[in-house]
Formats: sequence, structure tokens, C-alpha cells
Amino acid sequence: MPIRDLDLKTLSLQDALDLATLIEEEARDRYEELAEQMAVHHTPGAEQFFRKMIGVEQHHHEELARRRRLLFGGAPVRVSRTMIFDVEAPDYDQVRQGMSVREAFDAALHAETKAYNFFVQALPQIADPDVRELFEELRDEEVEHQRWVQDEIDRLPPSTAPEGDVSDEPVGH
Amino acid sequence: MAVEQAYAPKDFKSDLKPIWCPGCGDYGVVQAIYRALSAIGRPPHEIAFVSGIGCSSRIPGYTTAYGFNSVHGRALPIAQGLKLANPDLLVLVAGGDGDGFSIGGGHLPHAIRRNLDLTYIVMDNQVYGLTKGQLSPTSVRGRKTATSAYGSLEQPINPLLQVLSYGAGFVAQGTPADMVGLTALIEEAIRYPGFAFVNVQSPCVTYGEEHQQMRAQKAVMKSLASVGHDPADYLKALEWATHYTHDLHTGVFYRNPDPPPTYEQLVRERQAELGRNALPRERILELFVQRTEGGVLADS
Repeated sequence: MPIRDLDLKTLSLQDALDLATLIEEEARDRYEELAEQMAVHHTPGAEQFFRKMIGVEQHHHEELARRRRLLFGGAPVRVSRTMIFDVEAPDYDQVRQGMSVREAFDAALHAETKAYNFFVQALPQIADPDVRELFEELRDEEVEHQRWVQDEIDRLPPSTAPEGDVSDEPVGH
Repeated sequence: MAVEQAYAPKDFKSDLKPIWCPGCGDYGVVQAIYRALSAIGRPPHEIAFVSGIGCSSRIPGYTTAYGFNSVHGRALPIAQGLKLANPDLLVLVAGGDGDGFSIGGGHLPHAIRRNLDLTYIVMDNQVYGLTKGQLSPTSVRGRKTATSAYGSLEQPINPLLQVLSYGAGFVAQGTPADMVGLTALIEEAIRYPGFAFVNVQSPCVTYGEEHQQMRAQKAVMKSLASVGHDPADYLKALEWATHYTHDLHTGVFYRNPDPPPTYEQLVRERQAELGRNALPRERILELFVQRTEGGVLADS
């Protein structure tokens, strides 16, 4: 499980909502990082796609944060980013210089699948019925996200040729 | 449930954008460092990061802590000086296998035997990546690189065995393929009161081989905890360390259950001891004048 110092058995709804918000925040930040990497390494197609994903994850983040505010107001947050590790954030090894747009989509699909697997693995450990309901909802949303990414992939032209500068010249050294 | 940390991982992230190749293992290492520092809870201005030269030695620039991207192989002497001058600083040292075991190799045993409270994180990718893929001290025999077109004829250094035999009190190995584990190791290394060494199998995506990449690591890595290794068992730690280059074992190889005093502690004790018997300033001056009576100083 990509979590640390977190007991899912005793997770409250407030903590669960905060955790879900942090998961989206982590994914957003990672897409931002990956977009910057692509910009530095002259891979504009993948960069544009990752920038689009920043917006998608930010939207999810805001939705969850709004729900949290409605239910728990400004109650202090008891979970932190040090407790989660790449739950929905694409893995660093999913990207490379000159990657194609299709490969960038694949990285996103892989990330959404990871998030789905996280909720599936977490659910049997959840005791609180409200948290269970939330996690089931989030798990199902991940299925929707996967479907959306897959549909986008299906609409892409068939070429998988890499784009941009693929020389082995390390940048900035 | 833990409360929110005083400093979040993002508080340790600088505005400087990393320029490592996409897919590089060092991205994961720096993330693990941010998280470990957040768990430690000390503010960035109480932390200093010293590095040598190489891709991984860029790390100080990517943190908000004090940073010194020094000269090739000289991170450890500089870090020792820094720690001795200001023992309250949390001092971390970062670098690659070339920096640490080749040009800086002579400094490693002395840093270990002195036992200052430093955390040395080596991003071991078994190749000189920054200079376009030459043999490094940890490249395996037979490895083909820009400087070994027909394959390396040299035996690689075993960093784990080396630091254990020099007497390091904390020796661990991790990989960015296991972020949870790597973060925990770095945090534990920082908390260890003495010289702590973390070897990170951080793959070079550009010059590394397929079997060294994170995807491959995920399939073969095995934690020492899962095989029942007791980190207090020094002899067993040596045995597990011999697996380096053959198997990817992660976790704590050795943690001295009875850490000796650090060098900086001993220096402070020595200073206090000598200070008690020290002559007052006036008496020193008096003795000096007596000894130089009739000399240049007395004439002037």
C-alpha cells in the first residue's frame, strides 16, 4: 500500500476526505512536475497533455475540498502528504524525453489504474460505513477516469512515433 | 493518527526546476528527502546539504535548506567541517557513486572512523551519467560503456561492504522504486546519532541498462525485513552486503544498537576539559612577556 503511518481501520470521514484531497493534490503536483520536465526536454505534445491533467486533478481536488468544508468546516487537518506515496500521481519512470502523446496518455491511464487499485485494496480495511461509502464512490470515479483517458487514447491517431528532440544530449550540463 | 507536520514536504522544495532526464531515479530520491525532512520537523534554515559533482549532486539546489554544491569528491570533508563548526545544523551529504567511491573514495573511511553525525546519501547508478556514460567504480564487470566498448575488466566496488567494514553505525539501501521504504530509510538515517550511509539504487534512464531501471527493480527488489534480517547483527549485515550487484536488497543492513559518541561530542568534551585547566588570559600574557624578555617584543 502506498501509505505510511496511517491506520485505515480507524480512518474517520473527515480524515478520509482530507486524504482523498491530498491524493488529488499529489497527482496535480506531479503532473506539474512532469509538464516542466517535458518543457525542459523539448517534448511539447506530452507537456500540453500533462498541463491539461493539472487542470483535471485540480478540479477533483477542489470538489473534494468543497465537500470537506461543507461537512467539517475549518477543523484542523490530521493527515499529511508524508503519509501518501504516488497513489494517483504518475510514476517518475513512466516518462522519458521525446515521449509521444500516446505514451503520455498511457502514463495517465496507469496512474488512474493505480488509484483504483488503492481504493480496492483499502476498502476491506475500512470500518467506518461513511468512509466505506466515500471510498466506494472514489473507486468508481477512478473507473470513470480510466474510461475517459482510454476514450481519449482511442481518438488519437495510430502513430506511436516519438516526438521532439530525441538526441541523447543531456540538457543543461 | 498523526497531526499535520510543522513543515510540509513542499516547504523543502526550492523554486529551481530539476533538469535531470525524465525518468531519472533522482526525482524520486529528492521527493523522499522532502518527505523525510518533513517528518523530522526541523525548519529548512537548520539544515545544510553538501554535495560534490554529478547529476545527483545537484540536489542541494532543489531544496530550501542551506546548500553547497562543492567540488568533485570533496563533499564529505566540507560537510565534516560544517558540522564541527556548527553542530546544531542537521547536515546531509549527497552525491553519486563516482563522486563518493572514486575521486572521493579516500575521504569515506576517514569520515566514517571520525563518526560525525552526518547522513550520506549516495545515488548509485553504476555509471558516470553527467559526462555521458563512462565506467564508474560500481559498474559491474563486463559492462559496456563509452570507456569500455568491449566490456569492463574491473571488479566493482561494493559500497555496502566497504562502509560496513570501515565501521559505519548505520548502513541502508533503498530505491526510488519503493518510495515508502526509501523515505523511511532516509528518515531513520537522519535520526541515527552518528555517521549514517544510505545507498540508493537510483537508475540512470539515459545510460543505465534495462535491468537497472525502476520497472525492473520493482520486480526483483526484496526487503531485508521480509527475510527476517536483524539490523543489530553486524556479521549477518556483512553477509547480506555481499549480495550487492546480484540481488537488490532494501532496508537497514546495520544499525549499531549502542552508538558511540560522535566526533563533535568528543570535541566539545575535550574543549570543556581543557577549558577547566586553562590559564587566565592575563597569566598567558605575563608568561609570554617573560619568555620574550630581552627579545624583539621586549625592545619594542
